[in-house]
Amino acid sequence: MREILFAGLGGQGVLTCGLIVAEVALFNGRTATWSPSYGSAMRGGAANCTVKYSREMVYNPSLDEPDLLLAMSESALALHGHLVKKGGIVLVNSDLVGGEGFGRTDVSVHRVPCSSLAQRIGQPKGANVIMTAAIIKLLGDFGFEDGMRGMNDMFRKKGKERFEKGNSAAFEAGYSAV
Amino acid sequence: MAEMMKGNVAIAEAAVRAGVRFYAGYPITPSSEIMEYLAKRLPELGRQFIQSESELAAINMVMGAAACGVRALTASSGPGISLKQEGISVLSDEELTCVVVNVVRYGNGLGTLFSSQCDYFRETRGGGNGDYRCIVLCPSSIQEAVDLMLTAYELAEKYRVVTVFMTEGALGQMMEPCELPDFVEPPKLPWGFDGKYSYKKIGIFDRDSMQEAEQLNRKYETIRAEEQRWESENVQDADYVFVAYGLPGRAVKGVTRQMRAQGLKVGLIRPITAWPFPVKAFAEVNPGVKGFITVEANATGQMVDDVALASKTVFRDRFVPTHALPCVYGLPSRKFIMDGFGQIVSGARKEVY
Repeated sequence: MREILFAGLGGQGVLTCGLIVAEVALFNGRTATWSPSYGSAMRGGAANCTVKYSREMVYNPSLDEPDLLLAMSESALALHGHLVKKGGIVLVNSDLVGGEGFGRTDVSVHRVPCSSLAQRIGQPKGANVIMTAAIIKLLGDFGFEDGMRGMNDMFRKKGKERFEKGNSAAFEAGYSAV
Repeated sequence: MAEMMKGNVAIAEAAVRAGVRFYAGYPITPSSEIMEYLAKRLPELGRQFIQSESELAAINMVMGAAACGVRALTASSGPGISLKQEGISVLSDEELTCVVVNVVRYGNGLGTLFSSQCDYFRETRGGGNGDYRCIVLCPSSIQEAVDLMLTAYELAEKYRVVTVFMTEGALGQMMEPCELPDFVEPPKLPWGFDGKYSYKKIGIFDRDSMQEAEQLNRKYETIRAEEQRWESENVQDADYVFVAYGLPGRAVKGVTRQMRAQGLKVGLIRPITAWPFPVKAFAEVNPGVKGFITVEANATGQMVDDVALASKTVFRDRFVPTHALPCVYGLPSRKFIMDGFGQIVSGARKEVY
Protein backbone atom coordinates (compact mmCIF):
# COMPACT_ATOMS: atom_id res chain seq x y z
CA MET A 1 0.00 0.00 0.00
CA ARG A 2 1.12 3.54 -0.75
CA GLU A 3 0.41 6.57 1.37
CA ILE A 4 0.97 10.10 0.08
CA LEU A 5 0.37 13.40 1.88
CA PHE A 6 -0.28 16.42 -0.33
CA ALA A 7 0.16 19.61 1.68
CA GLY A 8 0.23 23.28 0.88
CA LEU A 9 -1.91 26.38 0.90
CA GLY A 10 -5.51 26.70 -0.26
CA GLY A 11 -5.51 27.60 -3.96
CA GLN A 12 -2.29 25.77 -4.83
CA GLY A 13 -4.21 22.79 -6.14
CA VAL A 14 -3.01 20.20 -3.63
CA LEU A 15 -6.45 18.60 -3.28
CA THR A 16 -6.71 18.19 -7.06
CA CYS A 17 -3.14 16.91 -7.17
CA GLY A 18 -4.09 14.19 -4.70
CA LEU A 19 -7.24 13.36 -6.60
CA ILE A 20 -5.30 12.94 -9.86
CA VAL A 21 -2.93 10.46 -8.20
CA ALA A 22 -5.92 8.56 -6.74
CA GLU A 23 -7.61 8.48 -10.15
CA VAL A 24 -4.41 7.31 -11.83
CA ALA A 25 -4.21 4.48 -9.30
CA LEU A 26 -7.85 3.55 -9.93
CA PHE A 27 -7.34 3.74 -13.68
CA ASN A 28 -4.48 1.28 -13.27
CA GLY A 29 -6.44 -1.33 -11.35
CA ARG A 30 -5.82 -0.28 -7.76
CA THR A 31 -8.31 0.83 -5.19
CA ALA A 32 -7.76 4.24 -3.62
CA THR A 33 -8.95 6.60 -0.90
CA TRP A 34 -8.69 10.39 -0.83
CA SER A 35 -9.16 12.12 2.52
CA PRO A 36 -9.00 15.91 2.74
CA SER A 37 -8.47 18.17 5.68
CA TYR A 38 -11.76 20.01 6.04
CA GLY A 39 -13.36 22.64 8.16
CA SER A 40 -12.82 26.37 8.36
CA ALA A 41 -10.25 26.38 5.53
CA MET A 42 -9.94 29.29 3.11
CA ARG A 43 -7.79 30.40 0.21
CA GLY A 44 -4.30 30.98 1.56
CA GLY A 45 -4.90 28.81 4.66
CA ALA A 46 -3.43 25.34 5.12
CA ALA A 47 -4.88 22.61 2.90
CA ASN A 48 -3.94 18.99 2.66
CA CYS A 49 -5.17 15.57 1.64
CA THR A 50 -4.03 12.01 2.17
CA VAL A 51 -4.20 9.50 -0.65
CA LYS A 52 -3.74 5.78 -0.16
CA TYR A 53 -3.79 3.19 -2.90
CA SER A 54 -3.42 -0.54 -2.85
CA ARG A 55 -4.17 -3.75 -4.71
CA GLU A 56 -6.41 -4.83 -1.81
CA MET A 57 -8.82 -2.85 0.38
CA VAL A 58 -7.52 0.33 2.03
CA TYR A 59 -8.51 -0.28 5.63
CA ASN A 60 -7.60 3.00 7.27
CA PRO A 61 -7.94 5.98 4.92
CA SER A 62 -6.52 8.55 7.35
CA LEU A 63 -3.02 10.00 7.62
CA ASP A 64 -0.53 7.71 9.31
CA GLU A 65 3.01 7.46 7.93
CA PRO A 66 3.32 8.72 4.33
CA ASP A 67 5.73 7.21 1.81
CA LEU A 68 5.84 10.60 0.15
CA LEU A 69 5.12 14.15 1.25
CA LEU A 70 4.42 16.87 -1.26
CA ALA A 71 5.25 20.17 0.46
CA MET A 72 3.99 23.06 -1.63
CA SER A 73 4.75 25.63 1.08
CA GLU A 74 7.19 26.32 3.91
CA SER A 75 4.48 25.69 6.52
CA ALA A 76 3.51 22.37 4.92
CA LEU A 77 7.07 21.12 5.26
CA ALA A 78 7.42 22.42 8.81
CA LEU A 79 4.11 20.84 9.86
CA HIS A 80 4.35 17.46 8.17
CA GLY A 81 8.07 16.83 7.45
CA HIS A 82 8.48 14.69 10.58
CA LEU A 83 5.67 12.29 9.58
CA VAL A 84 7.35 10.84 6.49
CA LYS A 85 8.35 7.20 6.72
CA LYS A 86 12.07 6.45 7.15
CA GLY A 87 13.55 6.08 3.69
CA GLY A 88 10.57 7.96 2.26
CA ILE A 89 10.44 10.84 -0.19
CA VAL A 90 9.85 14.56 0.27
CA LEU A 91 8.99 16.56 -2.82
CA VAL A 92 9.35 20.28 -2.28
CA ASN A 93 8.09 23.29 -4.22
CA SER A 94 11.44 25.09 -4.28
CA ASP A 95 9.85 28.31 -5.51
CA LEU A 96 8.34 28.80 -2.06
CA VAL A 97 10.38 26.57 0.23
CA GLY A 98 13.94 27.61 1.20
CA GLY A 99 17.01 25.45 0.62
CA GLU A 100 17.88 24.73 4.27
CA GLY A 101 17.23 21.27 5.64
CA PHE A 102 14.28 20.40 7.90
CA GLY A 103 16.05 18.10 10.29
CA ARG A 104 15.66 14.82 8.38
CA THR A 105 18.58 12.96 6.83
CA ASP A 106 16.70 9.65 6.53
CA VAL A 107 14.46 10.70 3.64
CA SER A 108 15.32 11.67 0.08
CA VAL A 109 14.44 15.24 -0.82
CA HIS A 110 13.57 16.35 -4.33
CA ARG A 111 13.22 20.00 -5.20
CA VAL A 112 11.15 21.17 -8.15
CA PRO A 113 10.45 24.87 -8.82
CA CYS A 114 6.94 24.03 -10.01
CA SER A 115 5.51 27.56 -10.15
CA SER A 116 8.31 29.04 -12.24
CA LEU A 117 8.47 25.89 -14.37
CA ALA A 118 4.72 26.22 -15.00
CA GLN A 119 5.25 29.83 -16.12
CA ARG A 120 8.14 28.82 -18.37
CA ILE A 121 6.13 26.21 -20.28
CA GLY A 122 3.21 28.61 -20.66
CA GLN A 123 0.90 26.73 -18.23
CA PRO A 124 0.80 29.12 -15.28
CA LYS A 125 -1.96 27.10 -13.56
CA GLY A 126 -0.17 23.79 -14.07
CA ALA A 127 2.15 23.78 -11.05
CA ASN A 128 0.10 21.06 -9.32
CA VAL A 129 0.01 18.86 -12.43
CA ILE A 130 3.81 19.23 -12.69
CA MET A 131 4.10 17.92 -9.12
CA THR A 132 1.59 15.13 -9.83
CA ALA A 133 3.79 13.83 -12.64
CA ALA A 134 6.91 14.14 -10.47
CA ILE A 135 5.20 12.09 -7.74
CA ILE A 136 4.16 9.38 -10.17
CA LYS A 137 7.73 9.11 -11.43
CA LEU A 138 9.29 9.17 -7.94
CA LEU A 139 7.02 6.40 -6.62
CA GLY A 140 7.53 4.30 -9.75
CA ASP A 141 4.25 2.38 -9.47
CA PHE A 142 2.88 3.70 -12.77
CA GLY A 143 4.72 4.57 -15.96
CA PHE A 144 4.54 7.83 -17.88
CA GLU A 145 1.79 6.64 -20.23
CA ASP A 146 -0.31 5.09 -17.45
CA GLY A 147 -0.08 8.32 -15.46
CA MET A 148 -0.90 10.59 -18.37
CA ARG A 149 -3.84 8.43 -19.49
CA GLY A 150 -5.23 8.20 -15.96
CA MET A 151 -5.05 11.98 -15.54
CA ASN A 152 -6.62 12.79 -18.88
CA ASP A 153 -9.34 10.23 -18.26
CA MET A 154 -10.25 11.97 -15.00
CA PHE A 155 -10.49 15.44 -16.58
CA ARG A 156 -12.50 14.04 -19.50
CA LYS A 157 -14.99 12.55 -17.04
CA LYS A 158 -15.26 15.98 -15.43
CA GLY A 159 -15.94 17.56 -18.84
CA LYS A 160 -12.63 19.41 -18.80
CA GLU A 161 -11.02 17.88 -21.88
CA ARG A 162 -10.39 21.38 -23.27
CA PHE A 163 -7.47 21.63 -20.83
CA GLU A 164 -5.97 18.33 -21.96
CA LYS A 165 -3.19 19.84 -24.09
CA GLY A 166 -2.06 22.16 -21.30
CA ASN A 167 -2.30 19.44 -18.64
CA SER A 168 -0.34 17.02 -20.83
CA ALA A 169 2.41 19.62 -21.33
CA ALA A 170 2.60 20.22 -17.58
CA PHE A 171 2.64 16.45 -16.93
CA GLU A 172 5.55 15.98 -19.34
CA ALA A 173 7.49 18.84 -17.77
CA GLY A 174 6.95 17.45 -14.25
CA TYR A 175 7.90 13.91 -15.25
CA SER A 176 11.20 15.21 -16.67
CA ALA A 177 11.89 17.44 -13.65
CA VAL A 178 12.85 14.62 -11.26
CA MET B 1 -16.95 0.86 -13.39
CA ALA B 2 -16.59 2.26 -9.92
CA GLU B 3 -15.90 6.01 -9.81
CA MET B 4 -14.19 8.09 -7.15
CA MET B 5 -17.00 9.77 -5.22
CA LYS B 6 -17.15 11.89 -2.10
CA GLY B 7 -19.04 10.15 0.71
CA ASN B 8 -21.63 12.88 1.22
CA VAL B 9 -22.32 13.19 -2.49
CA ALA B 10 -22.58 9.42 -2.94
CA ILE B 11 -25.02 9.20 -0.01
CA ALA B 12 -27.12 12.01 -1.47
CA GLU B 13 -27.24 10.41 -4.92
CA ALA B 14 -28.04 7.02 -3.38
CA ALA B 15 -30.97 8.65 -1.59
CA VAL B 16 -32.17 10.14 -4.88
CA ARG B 17 -32.00 6.67 -6.46
CA ALA B 18 -33.83 5.16 -3.49
CA GLY B 19 -36.74 7.42 -4.39
CA VAL B 20 -36.39 10.38 -2.03
CA ARG B 21 -38.96 12.96 -3.10
CA PHE B 22 -38.38 15.55 -0.40
CA TYR B 23 -35.38 16.97 1.43
CA ALA B 24 -35.36 19.71 4.03
CA GLY B 25 -32.33 20.67 6.06
CA TYR B 26 -30.02 23.33 7.38
CA PRO B 27 -26.30 23.20 6.56
CA ILE B 28 -23.59 22.17 9.02
CA THR B 29 -20.04 20.91 8.53
CA PRO B 30 -19.22 18.09 7.81
CA SER B 31 -22.62 17.19 6.31
CA SER B 32 -23.32 20.20 4.08
CA GLU B 33 -22.37 18.60 0.73
CA ILE B 34 -25.43 16.36 1.06
CA MET B 35 -27.82 19.29 0.86
CA GLU B 36 -25.60 21.26 -1.50
CA TYR B 37 -25.80 18.36 -3.94
CA LEU B 38 -29.53 17.81 -3.46
CA ALA B 39 -30.26 21.52 -3.89
CA LYS B 40 -29.40 21.06 -7.55
CA ARG B 41 -30.27 17.40 -8.02
CA LEU B 42 -33.81 17.15 -6.63
CA PRO B 43 -35.32 20.05 -8.65
CA GLU B 44 -33.73 18.55 -11.78
CA LEU B 45 -35.98 15.53 -11.23
CA GLY B 46 -39.05 17.58 -10.32
CA ARG B 47 -38.68 16.69 -6.65
CA GLN B 48 -38.64 19.04 -3.67
CA PHE B 49 -35.67 20.59 -1.91
CA ILE B 50 -35.97 23.14 0.89
CA GLN B 51 -33.19 24.88 2.77
CA SER B 52 -35.18 25.59 5.87
CA GLU B 53 -34.70 28.44 8.31
CA SER B 54 -33.66 26.06 11.08
CA GLU B 55 -33.20 22.40 11.93
CA LEU B 56 -36.48 22.47 13.83
CA ALA B 57 -38.31 23.63 10.72
CA ALA B 58 -36.50 21.02 8.59
CA ILE B 59 -37.57 18.01 10.65
CA ASN B 60 -41.15 19.28 10.79
CA MET B 61 -41.19 19.70 7.02
CA VAL B 62 -39.85 16.15 6.70
CA MET B 63 -42.69 15.06 8.98
CA GLY B 64 -45.14 16.73 6.62
CA ALA B 65 -43.69 14.93 3.62
CA ALA B 66 -43.74 11.64 5.52
CA ALA B 67 -47.39 12.22 6.44
CA CYS B 68 -48.09 12.65 2.74
CA GLY B 69 -46.63 9.20 2.12
CA VAL B 70 -43.40 10.00 0.28
CA ARG B 71 -39.79 9.15 1.04
CA ALA B 72 -38.28 12.10 2.89
CA LEU B 73 -34.75 12.86 4.01
CA THR B 74 -32.87 15.23 6.25
CA ALA B 75 -29.18 15.37 7.06
CA SER B 76 -27.09 17.18 9.61
CA SER B 77 -24.36 16.65 12.16
CA GLY B 78 -24.24 16.30 15.98
CA PRO B 79 -25.72 19.59 17.26
CA GLY B 80 -28.06 19.93 14.27
CA ILE B 81 -29.53 16.50 14.99
CA SER B 82 -29.96 17.51 18.64
CA LEU B 83 -32.34 20.21 17.45
CA LYS B 84 -34.30 17.63 15.47
CA GLN B 85 -34.95 15.29 18.39
CA GLU B 86 -38.41 16.62 19.21
CA GLY B 87 -39.44 15.99 15.59
CA ILE B 88 -37.90 12.52 15.53
CA SER B 89 -39.84 11.66 18.69
CA VAL B 90 -43.08 12.88 17.08
CA LEU B 91 -42.36 10.99 13.84
CA SER B 92 -41.79 7.85 15.92
CA ASP B 93 -44.99 8.43 17.88
CA GLU B 94 -47.02 8.87 14.68
CA GLU B 95 -45.28 5.84 13.15
CA LEU B 96 -44.17 8.00 10.24
CA THR B 97 -41.05 7.12 8.31
CA CYS B 98 -38.00 8.97 7.07
CA VAL B 99 -34.23 8.74 7.04
CA VAL B 100 -32.11 11.07 9.15
CA VAL B 101 -28.43 11.20 8.18
CA ASN B 102 -26.02 12.14 10.96
CA VAL B 103 -22.51 12.85 9.67
CA VAL B 104 -21.07 12.69 13.16
CA ARG B 105 -18.61 15.29 14.39
CA TYR B 106 -16.89 15.35 17.77
CA GLY B 107 -17.88 17.11 20.91
CA ASN B 108 -20.49 18.22 23.38
CA GLY B 109 -22.45 21.40 22.81
CA LEU B 110 -21.39 22.93 19.52
CA GLY B 111 -18.44 20.56 19.49
CA THR B 112 -15.73 20.52 16.84
CA LEU B 113 -15.40 19.58 13.18
CA PHE B 114 -13.41 16.40 13.86
CA SER B 115 -14.74 13.08 12.59
CA SER B 116 -16.15 11.05 15.44
CA GLN B 117 -18.58 8.44 16.79
CA CYS B 118 -19.59 10.38 19.88
CA ASP B 119 -23.34 10.30 19.11
CA TYR B 120 -23.66 6.53 19.58
CA PHE B 121 -25.74 6.77 22.76
CA ARG B 122 -28.01 9.47 21.36
CA GLU B 123 -28.78 7.59 18.14
CA THR B 124 -29.14 4.11 19.62
CA ARG B 125 -31.24 5.14 22.63
CA GLY B 126 -33.51 7.64 20.94
CA GLY B 127 -32.47 11.19 21.73
CA GLY B 128 -35.93 12.71 22.16
CA ASN B 129 -38.48 12.27 24.90
CA GLY B 130 -40.46 9.09 25.22
CA ASP B 131 -40.16 5.41 24.66
CA TYR B 132 -39.08 4.92 21.07
CA ARG B 133 -36.24 3.37 19.09
CA CYS B 134 -34.80 4.21 15.69
CA ILE B 135 -33.08 1.69 13.48
CA VAL B 136 -29.46 2.85 13.25
CA LEU B 137 -27.22 1.92 10.31
CA CYS B 138 -23.48 2.58 10.50
CA PRO B 139 -21.61 2.00 7.21
CA SER B 140 -17.83 1.68 7.09
CA SER B 141 -17.21 2.55 3.45
CA ILE B 142 -18.80 4.74 0.82
CA GLN B 143 -19.91 1.66 -1.11
CA GLU B 144 -21.55 0.20 1.95
CA ALA B 145 -23.27 3.52 2.67
CA VAL B 146 -24.64 3.68 -0.85
CA ASP B 147 -25.80 0.06 -0.71
CA LEU B 148 -27.56 0.63 2.64
CA MET B 149 -29.57 3.69 1.61
CA LEU B 150 -32.45 1.80 -0.01
CA THR B 151 -32.36 -0.63 2.92
CA ALA B 152 -32.68 2.35 5.26
CA TYR B 153 -36.02 3.28 3.69
CA GLU B 154 -37.24 -0.29 3.35
CA LEU B 155 -36.58 -0.96 7.03
CA ALA B 156 -38.21 2.31 8.08
CA GLU B 157 -41.33 1.48 6.07
CA LYS B 158 -41.46 -2.19 7.02
CA TYR B 159 -41.61 -1.30 10.71
CA ARG B 160 -42.85 2.28 10.50
CA VAL B 161 -39.91 3.74 12.35
CA VAL B 162 -37.30 6.39 11.66
CA THR B 163 -33.98 5.12 10.33
CA VAL B 164 -30.90 6.99 11.47
CA PHE B 165 -28.05 6.77 9.00
CA MET B 166 -25.04 7.25 11.26
CA THR B 167 -21.91 8.09 9.30
CA GLU B 168 -18.81 10.03 10.31
CA GLY B 169 -17.22 13.31 9.24
CA ALA B 170 -14.30 11.55 7.59
CA LEU B 171 -16.60 9.19 5.66
CA GLY B 172 -18.63 12.13 4.40
CA GLN B 173 -15.57 14.08 3.30
CA MET B 174 -13.41 11.32 1.84
CA MET B 175 -13.55 9.87 -1.67
CA GLU B 176 -13.19 6.28 -2.77
CA PRO B 177 -14.43 4.16 -5.67
CA CYS B 178 -18.15 3.53 -5.56
CA GLU B 179 -20.79 2.04 -7.83
CA LEU B 180 -24.23 3.58 -7.57
CA PRO B 181 -27.39 1.46 -7.45
CA ASP B 182 -30.21 1.70 -10.00
CA PHE B 183 -33.17 4.04 -9.55
CA VAL B 184 -36.23 2.68 -7.80
CA GLU B 185 -39.73 4.12 -8.00
CA PRO B 186 -41.26 3.60 -4.56
CA PRO B 187 -45.04 3.30 -4.30
CA LYS B 188 -46.92 5.99 -2.38
CA LEU B 189 -46.87 4.84 1.21
CA PRO B 190 -50.34 3.54 2.09
CA TRP B 191 -50.56 5.47 5.36
CA GLY B 192 -50.00 8.81 3.65
CA PHE B 193 -52.79 11.43 3.52
CA ASP B 194 -55.10 10.90 0.55
CA GLY B 195 -56.87 14.24 0.73
CA LYS B 196 -60.19 12.61 1.70
CA TYR B 197 -59.98 12.43 5.49
CA SER B 198 -60.00 8.62 5.20
CA TYR B 199 -58.34 8.12 8.56
CA LYS B 200 -60.04 8.14 11.88
CA LYS B 201 -59.02 11.07 14.03
CA ILE B 202 -57.74 10.05 17.45
CA GLY B 203 -57.58 12.78 20.04
CA ILE B 204 -54.78 12.89 22.57
CA PHE B 205 -57.13 11.81 25.37
CA ASP B 206 -58.64 8.97 23.33
CA ARG B 207 -55.40 7.04 23.12
CA ASP B 208 -54.94 3.72 24.88
CA SER B 209 -51.31 3.98 25.86
CA MET B 210 -51.32 0.57 27.57
CA GLN B 211 -52.36 -1.13 24.37
CA GLU B 212 -49.95 0.99 22.33
CA ALA B 213 -47.13 -0.04 24.67
CA GLU B 214 -47.79 -3.69 23.91
CA GLN B 215 -47.74 -3.04 20.18
CA LEU B 216 -44.59 -0.97 20.50
CA ASN B 217 -42.80 -3.69 22.41
CA ARG B 218 -43.89 -6.33 19.91
CA LYS B 219 -42.56 -4.18 17.09
CA TYR B 220 -39.20 -3.52 18.73
CA GLU B 221 -38.84 -7.18 19.69
CA THR B 222 -39.41 -8.17 16.05
CA ILE B 223 -36.80 -5.66 14.89
CA ARG B 224 -34.34 -7.00 17.48
CA ALA B 225 -34.99 -10.56 16.32
CA GLU B 226 -35.01 -9.96 12.57
CA GLU B 227 -32.82 -7.02 11.69
CA GLN B 228 -29.43 -7.39 13.35
CA ARG B 229 -26.68 -6.86 10.79
CA TRP B 230 -22.96 -7.26 11.20
CA GLU B 231 -19.75 -8.51 9.67
CA SER B 232 -17.44 -10.73 11.66
CA GLU B 233 -14.30 -12.72 11.10
CA ASN B 234 -12.00 -15.04 13.05
CA VAL B 235 -14.24 -15.11 16.13
CA GLN B 236 -14.65 -18.90 16.53
CA ASP B 237 -11.19 -19.48 18.00
CA ALA B 238 -10.35 -15.97 19.16
CA ASP B 239 -8.81 -15.20 22.54
CA TYR B 240 -9.82 -11.57 22.13
CA VAL B 241 -12.60 -10.18 19.95
CA PHE B 242 -12.50 -6.55 18.86
CA VAL B 243 -15.80 -4.77 18.29
CA ALA B 244 -15.77 -1.63 16.15
CA TYR B 245 -18.07 -0.02 13.59
CA GLY B 246 -17.88 2.57 10.83
CA LEU B 247 -14.46 3.83 9.78
CA PRO B 248 -12.77 2.61 12.98
CA GLY B 249 -14.38 -0.78 12.25
CA ARG B 250 -12.62 -0.98 8.97
CA ALA B 251 -9.31 0.29 10.43
CA VAL B 252 -9.52 -2.40 13.14
CA LYS B 253 -10.23 -5.02 10.49
CA GLY B 254 -6.90 -4.23 8.81
CA VAL B 255 -5.04 -4.43 12.11
CA THR B 256 -6.69 -7.66 13.32
CA ARG B 257 -5.85 -9.30 9.99
CA GLN B 258 -2.20 -8.30 10.49
CA MET B 259 -2.31 -9.61 14.07
CA ARG B 260 -3.73 -12.92 12.84
CA ALA B 261 -0.91 -13.16 10.30
CA GLN B 262 1.48 -12.80 13.26
CA GLY B 263 -0.24 -15.68 15.04
CA LEU B 264 -2.31 -13.67 17.51
CA LYS B 265 -5.76 -15.17 18.02
CA VAL B 266 -7.94 -12.10 17.58
CA GLY B 267 -11.25 -11.63 15.83
CA LEU B 268 -13.55 -8.81 14.85
CA ILE B 269 -17.25 -8.05 15.07
CA ARG B 270 -18.25 -5.00 13.04
CA PRO B 271 -21.83 -3.93 13.74
CA ILE B 272 -23.70 -2.63 10.68
CA THR B 273 -26.83 -2.00 12.73
CA ALA B 274 -25.97 -0.14 15.93
CA TRP B 275 -29.62 -0.63 16.90
CA PRO B 276 -30.67 -3.38 16.93
CA PHE B 277 -27.22 -4.22 18.31
CA PRO B 278 -25.94 -7.47 16.72
CA VAL B 279 -26.13 -9.67 19.81
CA LYS B 280 -26.36 -12.74 17.57
CA ALA B 281 -22.79 -12.12 16.40
CA PHE B 282 -21.61 -12.93 19.92
CA ALA B 283 -23.15 -16.40 19.81
CA GLU B 284 -20.50 -17.37 17.24
CA VAL B 285 -17.61 -16.36 19.49
CA ASN B 286 -15.20 -18.88 21.05
CA PRO B 287 -16.80 -19.94 24.39
CA GLY B 288 -13.35 -19.56 25.99
CA VAL B 289 -12.82 -15.98 24.82
CA LYS B 290 -10.73 -13.94 27.26
CA GLY B 291 -12.15 -10.53 26.49
CA PHE B 292 -13.99 -8.14 24.22
CA ILE B 293 -12.36 -4.88 23.18
CA THR B 294 -14.27 -1.99 21.66
CA VAL B 295 -12.42 0.61 19.60
CA GLU B 296 -14.56 3.76 19.42
CA ALA B 297 -14.04 7.34 18.27
CA ASN B 298 -15.35 8.98 21.43
CA ALA B 299 -13.89 9.97 24.78
CA THR B 300 -15.81 7.87 27.25
CA GLY B 301 -16.56 4.53 25.57
CA GLN B 302 -20.23 4.16 24.67
CA MET B 303 -20.68 1.00 22.60
CA VAL B 304 -18.82 -0.90 25.32
CA ASP B 305 -22.13 -0.91 27.25
CA ASP B 306 -23.88 -2.76 24.43
CA VAL B 307 -20.97 -5.18 24.07
CA ALA B 308 -21.11 -6.00 27.79
CA LEU B 309 -24.88 -6.54 27.56
CA ALA B 310 -24.51 -8.72 24.47
CA SER B 311 -21.80 -10.72 26.18
CA LYS B 312 -24.00 -11.18 29.25
CA THR B 313 -26.88 -12.31 27.03
CA VAL B 314 -24.76 -14.95 25.29
CA PHE B 315 -22.29 -16.07 27.98
CA ARG B 316 -24.74 -16.69 30.78
CA ASP B 317 -22.46 -18.86 32.88
CA ARG B 318 -19.51 -16.47 33.11
CA PHE B 319 -18.57 -12.84 32.86
CA VAL B 320 -16.24 -12.00 29.98
CA PRO B 321 -14.11 -8.88 30.68
CA THR B 322 -15.12 -6.09 28.34
CA HIS B 323 -12.63 -3.33 27.51
CA ALA B 324 -12.88 -0.05 25.67
CA LEU B 325 -10.20 1.71 23.63
CA PRO B 326 -11.73 5.11 22.89
CA CYS B 327 -9.60 7.15 20.47
CA VAL B 328 -11.74 10.28 21.04
CA TYR B 329 -11.91 11.45 17.41
CA GLY B 330 -10.51 10.54 14.02
CA LEU B 331 -9.44 7.01 13.17
CA PRO B 332 -7.46 4.70 15.45
CA SER B 333 -3.95 4.09 14.12
CA ARG B 334 -2.33 0.67 14.10
CA LYS B 335 -0.04 1.86 16.91
CA PHE B 336 -3.01 3.00 19.04
CA ILE B 337 -4.74 -0.35 18.65
CA MET B 338 -1.59 -2.41 19.24
CA ASP B 339 -0.53 -0.37 22.30
CA GLY B 340 -4.01 -0.66 23.79
CA PHE B 341 -4.12 -4.38 23.10
CA GLY B 342 -0.71 -4.82 24.75
CA GLN B 343 -1.92 -3.02 27.88
CA ILE B 344 -5.06 -5.16 28.03
CA VAL B 345 -3.20 -8.45 27.65
CA SER B 346 -0.58 -7.47 30.26
CA GLY B 347 -3.27 -6.35 32.71
CA ALA B 348 -2.03 -2.75 32.73
CA ARG B 349 -5.37 -1.57 31.39
CA LYS B 350 -8.46 -2.43 33.41
CA GLU B 351 -11.68 -3.64 31.85
CA VAL B 352 -14.73 -1.35 31.86
CA TYR B 353 -17.08 -4.20 32.82
